[in-house]
Amino acid sequence: MEKGYIENGFIVDVSNACKTSEIIYELSTILDLPDAQRKKVCLKLGGIDLSAIQLTSIKALVESMNSEIEFISTDSEVTSLAAKELGINLSKIENKVPTPDFNLEEEGRNKVNKELEKALDKIFGDNNNEIKTFSEEKHLNELRKETENPEVPEYTQKPIRDTLFAEPAENSGQSENITDVTDSEIDSEELAELNKFNRELEAANNSGNIEEDYENITYEDIKEQLKETEKLPTLYIQRTLRSGQSITSEGNIVIIGDVNPGSEIIAAGDITVWGVLGGIAHAGTSGNRYARIRALKMNAIQLRIADVFARRPDNANIPYIQKTDTFVPEEAYVSRNQIYIHKLHEE
Amino acid sequence: MSGRVIVITSGKGGVGKTTTNANIGTSLAKAGKKVVMIDTDLGLRNLDLLLGLENRIVYTIVDVVEERCKLKQALVKDKKNPNLCLLAAAQTRDKTAVTEEQLKDICEKLKKDFDFILVDCPAGIEQGFQNAVAGASEAIVVTTPEMSAVRDADRIIGLLEAKEEIKSYKLLLNRVRPNLVKSKDMMSVDDVVEILSADLIGIIPEDTGIITSTNKGEPIVNDEKSLAGKAYSNVARRIIGEDVPFLNLEEENSVVAKVKKFFSGLIGKEK
Repeated sequence: MEKGYIENGFIVDVSNACKTSEIIYELSTILDLPDAQRKKVCLKLGGIDLSAIQLTSIKALVESMNSEIEFISTDSEVTSLAAKELGINLSKIENKVPTPDFNLEEEGRNKVNKELEKALDKIFGDNNNEIKTFSEEKHLNELRKETENPEVPEYTQKPIRDTLFAEPAENSGQSENITDVTDSEIDSEELAELNKFNRELEAANNSGNIEEDYENITYEDIKEQLKETEKLPTLYIQRTLRSGQSITSEGNIVIIGDVNPGSEIIAAGDITVWGVLGGIAHAGTSGNRYARIRALKMNAIQLRIADVFARRPDNANIPYIQKTDTFVPEEAYVSRNQIYIHKLHEE
Repeated sequence: MSGRVIVITSGKGGVGKTTTNANIGTSLAKAGKKVVMIDTDLGLRNLDLLLGLENRIVYTIVDVVEERCKLKQALVKDKKNPNLCLLAAAQTRDKTAVTEEQLKDICEKLKKDFDFILVDCPAGIEQGFQNAVAGASEAIVVTTPEMSAVRDADRIIGLLEAKEEIKSYKLLLNRVRPNLVKSKDMMSVDDVVEILSADLIGIIPEDTGIITSTNKGEPIVNDEKSLAGKAYSNVARRIIGEDVPFLNLEEENSVVAKVKKFFSGLIGKEK
């Protein structure tokens, strides 16, 4: 059995399974992984025949593990019927982009682009529910290269992608509800502003289309990278970093103390702050996007992981003095070209 | 376009150089001018905080000088006014990271794209001051009506006069408290001008709103009710070339002042 890893959803290929129990076992193992939390699931069932009852139990299992089935793909008619009965979306995962509807094409300048947009919409859905196979993605990238219009930045299609300091919402499983570091909500204006800023940064850094390299990530890749970070030497510092002080390391950095605003920590590996992180933290400087930044209190002016930047929202009402009686350990990581922060401890 | 490079300096610390810089810059930009502010206070930068741009800084002036980025990349745009830019100082370096020549070079480059280049000078008369002054052709000397600040301003004016590049300098009197001046507990505007024999460009009254505006990262000129804000925008208008009369600080005073006036009238001029 193989499983694929994609940002907002998983493709779980269980087409080789012989029994329903095997499918359930595999699913529960995968969904139990920390990286699978709050992601959508796409089931690849191949030729397996599943009755409505069996499908219901699988659906219930997935939902009980904080996920939901986005769609299933199957070759079996029995399963298709059962899925229709239950209202589960059916989709064929093929190495093809759905053919755009040429008849609906309006007169316009960027004909090719509109076709592409439609094709992308069909795969991605309207919002953020992105589930696709690797091969599809490759194909898309090829298509993109051919028809790319440099004046239309890719971001405009899904602006939610480059929000900063975004945290996956806890209940809905969609990253539409965005909370910032201090859990206050970012309004749409702020969102637009952030998007703009990120785009400017993107342009400024002239980083090109880095996305391609990072989209085909598998779960094994992450595991591998985590192991790599473990191997790095770790700098252990037991004092508070004050304004103007800077610590650079080729490995990981652990700080027992606060990191005050105006100071910076730069590490090729992970950064862990046992205290309030108030300055600038840059992890994974060598280009490792799997690097993470953790702090007992995340109040960083800026977070940088590899080539991804995020800044503290302007409307966050940050008190002059950080209270030290309550700590909410948080961790920042990169997902889909943006930095997310999630709580390490769920109440 | 050939912009004017104005250095804002004082000698003494804490008289309000950075506040002046942020407010004049903001009002110039509001008036439609293209403004860039350069913070040369390496290691003790504050201008970004006052403008609320702290979280946007990616590259600093040191990165520009050491060629890690292009000058344009290092310019941080203001949140509200696209005419306003900031070239931030590096926090983790000291004044020796930039030389006079390099700053001159940066100013020359910025002149082409901006109407005004405001250089925020660090306190003191050492390397930091020399750097800040290097590229400038005009200066605003900020002082408060205190003997120590006036003495330092005098020293600064002496140094500025010795510099050929500085074509003109103006005096900005900050934190004036009309009540104290009236009761002769504070030097009056005239006293200061007489000691320094320099042209005044503005008188800014003491305003508690400055504290909140600094903490919020929002220049006080954006608050239209504030007297200090009004005084700062008047300074900006004078820089552009308008003829604006000085605010009558005493008249603007509150009811308390009027009551006091009334009572002092009753008691008679005992003092």
